[in-house]
Amino acid sequence: MSSTSAVGPASRGQARGRRSHQVILVREQDAQHSGSGCCGRLGERHTALGAAADFSQSRARMEQIGEIYRALAQAAPDLELVIADPRNLIWLYPAVWRAARANGSTAFSACRAMARAGAPVAVVVDGKTLYSGRLPSAQVVVDRVLAWTARPLNA
Amino acid sequence: MPAFLLIVITLVAFYFAYKFYSRYLAEKVYRLDPNFVTPAHAMRDGVDFVPTHKHVLLGHHFTSVAGAAPIVGPAIAVYWGWLPALTWVVLGTIFAAGVHDFGSIVVSARNRGQNIGTLSGKVVSARASTLFLLIIFFLLTLVNAVFGVVMAILFESNPGAVIPALIVIPIAVFIGQWAYRMGRSIVIPSILGLLLLYVAIPVGQAYPIYVDGLAEAVGLSVRTTWIILIFAYTWIASRLPVWVLLQPRDYINGQQLIVALVVIFLGVLIGWDTISAPAVNEVAPNSPHWFPYLFITVACGAISGFHSLVASGTTSKQLGNETEARFVGYGGALGEGALALAAILACTAGLGAAGDWNTAYADFGAASGGALGHFVNGTGHFLSNLGIPATLGATFAAVVVITFAGTTMDTGVRLQRYILEEISELAGIKSLVGRVNLLTTLAVLIPLGLALVPGGDSAGGKGFAFGRLWTLFGTTNQLTAGLALSIIGVWLLARNRNPLAALIPLVFLLFMTTWALLLNLGDFFAKGDWLLLVMDAAIFVLAAWLAVEAFTAFNRERRNPSAAAEES
Repeated sequence: MSSTSAVGPASRGQARGRRSHQVILVREQDAQHSGSGCCGRLGERHTALGAAADFSQSRARMEQIGEIYRALAQAAPDLELVIADPRNLIWLYPAVWRAARANGSTAFSACRAMARAGAPVAVVVDGKTLYSGRLPSAQVVVDRVLAWTARPLNA
Repeated sequence: MPAFLLIVITLVAFYFAYKFYSRYLAEKVYRLDPNFVTPAHAMRDGVDFVPTHKHVLLGHHFTSVAGAAPIVGPAIAVYWGWLPALTWVVLGTIFAAGVHDFGSIVVSARNRGQNIGTLSGKVVSARASTLFLLIIFFLLTLVNAVFGVVMAILFESNPGAVIPALIVIPIAVFIGQWAYRMGRSIVIPSILGLLLLYVAIPVGQAYPIYVDGLAEAVGLSVRTTWIILIFAYTWIASRLPVWVLLQPRDYINGQQLIVALVVIFLGVLIGWDTISAPAVNEVAPNSPHWFPYLFITVACGAISGFHSLVASGTTSKQLGNETEARFVGYGGALGEGALALAAILACTAGLGAAGDWNTAYADFGAASGGALGHFVNGTGHFLSNLGIPATLGATFAAVVVITFAGTTMDTGVRLQRYILEEISELAGIKSLVGRVNLLTTLAVLIPLGLALVPGGDSAGGKGFAFGRLWTLFGTTNQLTAGLALSIIGVWLLARNRNPLAALIPLVFLLFMTTWALLLNLGDFFAKGDWLLLVMDAAIFVLAAWLAVEAFTAFNRERRNPSAAAEES
């Protein structure tokens, strides 16, 4: 479990089903694999060689995204904040496509956004992939996302 | 009967099950409360605890739980006819897997997102967490043994699949470097990797790889040689950092799963094939009887204990609203059932005329040893309905299963390493703690021994015993499910709710598992399979232990519904 503190309930905008800016924070879930029905997350006690050691890099990315998530949740409670795994093929890529098209992107741009969204870490805002693969500091990401979402929605 | 009709019947059954039975579970059994503050909200941190929309969560849950195991079990079980296999898949999914997966999410969510191992100690008894550890140890041992054999069978029977299966490794390593070291997007390289893999299929067909020469040189059978090579590879793969091979290969696996499901169902729809297998097969003398063996042969696909680990380890922490556990948990179980249906169709409608089927499933040895081959050939036939040559289609299916099995073994050995270290810590064997090479070697050697000893594929006239190894795997998987169902049942009883929805599948599974284990004991003794005999006896003890723990916990809660299982 993360050592960070909880940040309170999810945004009211989401709860009311009102249309709001959508921010998808993409990161891999540690110790979890696609098609792992027989060998997925074990949830073992912490040992020297346990999952925490094997998946330390994934964990670092989860913590990094967590920091951004908490800052955005605090700064803009009405944002629709989603955390998704890039291996979640069934949901992630159609969602990016839909958001991109709904916000006026061309089919090519939507495809590009989908392609860039599938990275170990990525930040997608209203169907536009702002960051892919590597992230600057959390504050830089948060500032850029907030600047982007300050604009009115397309439709 | 048209195969399409089986799809319709199954999907209609699943639809009504979701609409009515899962609603009954949600309202009357689990009593989901839309106002309950889930751990995702209460402990929301954006890392582990994240309120997540049900569609996102179902996507993640399903891609995590679906794998190769729902293919193998049904591919063997159609030996008793398509009707018993399909009936168990449908009823098991509806009344056992749905209750189990759904309930695991609910109980975990009501307990701060704690995993099933922790909950076993908290809800059932302190001893139950040790029991959990031991069941998982046996389960992982058998998982690694059976998947090692699965890969060896496929390499031996489909030498054309060796090159495409091997080429996945450099592709994955490249993707790993590209994505994790260079910080780039993974989508385009993984799609290109998948295409390259498909290009490698005809190349593999043109240049099949045989290890007969090597096998002859070292004096082993071809299958044994493959098994040893596969375990050697697994040792190396499990010692690499996860980002080098395991994680990037995951992306290719995910895409393959979607492609395989689409082509199978599309092939059935377009080809309008009929079921060539009998509804109920008159099996060869001395075959295992379907009752109880059917219920442990099809484990994943009807009910899988490992789903409780995903449900309680990840999903419950991301549940945005408690009422959505129904959609994610029960819906995910139905998705797994659909995967098992695809395997049944491939092995009953895809194998051609009834005569071909009777030859393929002549006896239990042929059915179990050749199960993967039957699935692969059946899928090849469905692909031929789409205009793809059947031999290429068969190699495609073989590669899908091999890559899944490879990932499962890599992960399985890692998990076994954790478990062995944990057991050594608990047992006070300090010399093993932190010894990664030693623990990995142990995690590889134990299942390797199991995969080889009952092998005897050409010796002693015993025939290849994959079926018996697989049924042992099934028993441990059902015991894991039984433990999760005990937790759910005790939790329900502690709240004065009717526990029958969890209790009936629990008693059913325990009964079938212990009965099959007892029958196996006699069989292994008669055939002199001493290693399997010891393994079977140990798992029987675990089953008896689980029954005692469950009975004691139920009795305790019935007399004194208590704080023992109170949510924190």
